[in-house]
Amino acid sequence: MSLRQNQTKAIITQALEQASLGDVRVSVSASKGGNARWGDSMPTTSGDIERLTVSVTAVTRDGRKATAQSNDTSKSGLAKLVAQAESMAALSPVDPEIMPPRGETRYLAAKAFDRKVSTMKAATRAPIVQSAIEAGTSQGLAMSGYLAHSDRTVAAGDRAGLFGYTRSTQLRASTTARTADGTGSAKAARVGFGASTVDGDALASEAALWALRSKEPTPLDPGDYTVILAPQAVSDLLGFLVGAMSHRAAVEGRSFFSAPGGKTKIGQALFHPSITLRSDPTDAKNPAAVMTTDGDPQPMVTWIEKGVLRALRAGRFWGDQAGVPVRPSPSSLHLSGGASTDSLLDLIGKVDKGVLVSRLWYNRMLQPRTITSTGLTRDGTFWIEGGKIVRPVKNLRYNDSVVTLLSNVAEMGAPVRAGGTTDRTDVVPPMIVDGFHFDSTSDAV
Amino acid sequence: MSSYRRDFLTLSGLATASLLLPGRTWAMPSGAKKPAPLTPPPSAAASAAVVAKSRVPADIPIAKKAVEAAIAAGASYADARLVVYRTESIGVRDDHVQAIKHGEDYGIGVRVIADGGWGFAAAPRVDAKTATTLAKTAVDSAKRSGKMLRELGRPPVAWVGAPVAKGTWVAPFEEDPFSVSLADKAEMFVDAAKAVMKVPGVAHASAGVALVGEDRAFVSSEGAEVHQIAYRLAPRLTASVVSERLGRFASRDLEVPGMQAGWEYVREIDMLGSAPQVAQDALRKLHASPVTPGARAVILAPSNLWLTIHESIGHPTELDRAMGLEADMAGTSFLRPADAGSRKIAAEGVNLVADRTQPGGLATVGWDDDGVQPGRWDIVRDGTFVGWQTTRDQAGWAGKSQSRGCSYGQRYSGVAFQRMPNVSLQPGAEGYTTEDLINATEDGVLISGRGSWSIDQQRYNFQFSGQMFWEVKRGRITRPLRDVAYQANTVDFWNSCDMLGGEGTYRVFGTFGDGKGQPMQSNAVSHGCPPARFEANIVNTGGGK
Repeated sequence: MSLRQNQTKAIITQALEQASLGDVRVSVSASKGGNARWGDSMPTTSGDIERLTVSVTAVTRDGRKATAQSNDTSKSGLAKLVAQAESMAALSPVDPEIMPPRGETRYLAAKAFDRKVSTMKAATRAPIVQSAIEAGTSQGLAMSGYLAHSDRTVAAGDRAGLFGYTRSTQLRASTTARTADGTGSAKAARVGFGASTVDGDALASEAALWALRSKEPTPLDPGDYTVILAPQAVSDLLGFLVGAMSHRAAVEGRSFFSAPGGKTKIGQALFHPSITLRSDPTDAKNPAAVMTTDGDPQPMVTWIEKGVLRALRAGRFWGDQAGVPVRPSPSSLHLSGGASTDSLLDLIGKVDKGVLVSRLWYNRMLQPRTITSTGLTRDGTFWIEGGKIVRPVKNLRYNDSVVTLLSNVAEMGAPVRAGGTTDRTDVVPPMIVDGFHFDSTSDAV
Repeated sequence: MSSYRRDFLTLSGLATASLLLPGRTWAMPSGAKKPAPLTPPPSAAASAAVVAKSRVPADIPIAKKAVEAAIAAGASYADARLVVYRTESIGVRDDHVQAIKHGEDYGIGVRVIADGGWGFAAAPRVDAKTATTLAKTAVDSAKRSGKMLRELGRPPVAWVGAPVAKGTWVAPFEEDPFSVSLADKAEMFVDAAKAVMKVPGVAHASAGVALVGEDRAFVSSEGAEVHQIAYRLAPRLTASVVSERLGRFASRDLEVPGMQAGWEYVREIDMLGSAPQVAQDALRKLHASPVTPGARAVILAPSNLWLTIHESIGHPTELDRAMGLEADMAGTSFLRPADAGSRKIAAEGVNLVADRTQPGGLATVGWDDDGVQPGRWDIVRDGTFVGWQTTRDQAGWAGKSQSRGCSYGQRYSGVAFQRMPNVSLQPGAEGYTTEDLINATEDGVLISGRGSWSIDQQRYNFQFSGQMFWEVKRGRITRPLRDVAYQANTVDFWNSCDMLGGEGTYRVFGTFGDGKGQPMQSNAVSHGCPPARFEANIVNTGGGK
């Protein structure tokens, strides 16, 4: 169900009124949405789903804390939930990292709601799915994909005066086209808050074009190469950076960002001077969540400025402890390097010899010390020579680091919204990166 | 390596003891040495108590109402699931609790076939009005899918028959994990973390447990009516060490599997007793020598091999992947639909069995979410791929008239589709011990525990890491290694398998986090195996240029 502001406020108020402890915190997360899938060029599952979670955190005077969640918003259900959280807290050991209730909190404003997305249903999904399938089957391709829409509410309140509320829509679609002989595959994806985000035919036509180009790949020897990373591949690697950017882990010596003597590398020039990485939940075109489900505000942050590390993540306890601003795991990342308007194709034209990577798949952390990860290229990998796509190549496994991406960058294009393999709003450019390491080849298509 | 194996076979007639290492051999924590409870003791009284407490049976008339409304709206088949999904997590850091969380969600999901297409609708409200609305919404979705199938010239959903499911099933347990006091539960992990912290040189300890309780009813237009309850537990304990001088850090997890069981399972694990070993292993890893890359033998302990089975055998033998239905997300398979029964993918003597009846197995159920009572069947027999994982709408694609019973939908809100059963590697007939495998290896690495893992979308090329790595030279453990991963092609890897541990070495491990589908749903699944020896490409994952 999608809840309006007064409905969430009523739930939160009702729960808080049941509280016997002085410190009780309530959050509500509700969504109404639908989705459709297709595979082997036929619709498979399609459904409309409502979800709801009421979360109550109770804290005793001596710092015992526990959280209970349910989806029962009746008066008796809320009373039961609060009583459960309070009795769980009483049974819990003291948490020395407990923080006082947040109280009145200001949030940035972002518009991320489109009524047309909020009211989508099977009747509006079906034509998009059918056009996406037919755009591929008309070229002899096997099509699969996913279309999903949601209207989501998040609200948080406490007994010290906090009330935060956001409502947003999201529309996402992805489609994978595979050639009939099984040797070519490509994916196209879109995500955004507005109804204009997805055009089934255009999406599928893009996947179809690249799938046909990727047919019958030949092997490329593993080694170090200049790579042209499509924005999706950049986004795939950036997640590891966010994971590594814990201020606490840095101080505790468990991170790439650790400096000797229990210090961090904030202020050090760690990356190429062209790299600037920011979070901006208010971006008009690509807005993101302005608060976490716990009610923490998502601030504007400059993480990296012209290659210099400026900030690391910190929760409320650690921020207080270390004397640094509270910065939750960001809801958005904007990576930029100047005013380039180059597209991915423009960047290809600038490479003498290199590998074009459409996306990276099954990425896993290997070594936090160097933020080294592993994974494979997928859905279109190409050998570039003289600024042109010369041939498709078999997929390759990389063992390398997001640090290489941010240090060895040769060129960046214009940032675009990456297609959404993460809940984060990633607005990142295509990039040319030197000396990226591929370790082995794969026969997978 | 095969010639070395022959040498070993001639030697193995000698007293094995004479080949064993002097003193301590290899450091597997005691928690993993102990066999996982293959047969958790059932308690009829405990089962009856949780069934009596369940809120689900009283709402079955509402689920039936949804099914009737769907049929009235034009569905040819309908089912409804009522699911209470409970979760609890306790997180401990160093000497204190960091987070305690309990969650419960309850709702109804209605799935229908109408005009040959699938439809689904779900809501977190269980009442007659919602049930009717959901049924109509699901039928509308289904009819639009059916119409699209006709216009695309594709066949309607082919739903194979199954005996009508009726009954109640409770996964065997003794002590309801949700009934044990939180303070008692938390204390066990605080004590274990404190014991880790006591070892000099340890920087941090973390510990905790994740609990899931599923209480679900399934009714269908075919007359099925079943009620099932199962508990799953995943305890954990980790030591972290840091050396500023070396500029390195390392961590070590206790090798303890998640299981379908009651709280008695956590009590059986001697976390406190294992804590010093976990801490010492972390320090050992910190000071270990970096591995030299190259092709060599790997001896994989069950605590490591289970995940390799999951990724390289479990996923590619899902029929929907081979059919291309998961191409947009999880991927397809290196196996083709026609490969069953003929394609050799492993060495002779390698047998893998699917089993949703295995006691303690995370994917063990009474009936699946198509209302099918699943059993045990061969996936790989003597090295040849023989059997797919199927559901009722897929069995026909494999030329079968019966489903294998692999349908599962997570929570009320997830539509049921094909999910992995417990898939296990069978022990070897020779009865080897882990020591036998080590003694027979000229040059290799012994790997235990779950590390990083990554595999491509058709399951050819994988690279897996682990928790502990030991160099093996001339039949002896020589020293600990660090930054190790093994990389291989699935079929080459399984064909290189030349030694399997015997029945006494078989252990079961598993995960709650088997992800698949859009939106992603998590399946819980176990994999049993003995230690086994393979050939792989050792990679140094230290990074840093």
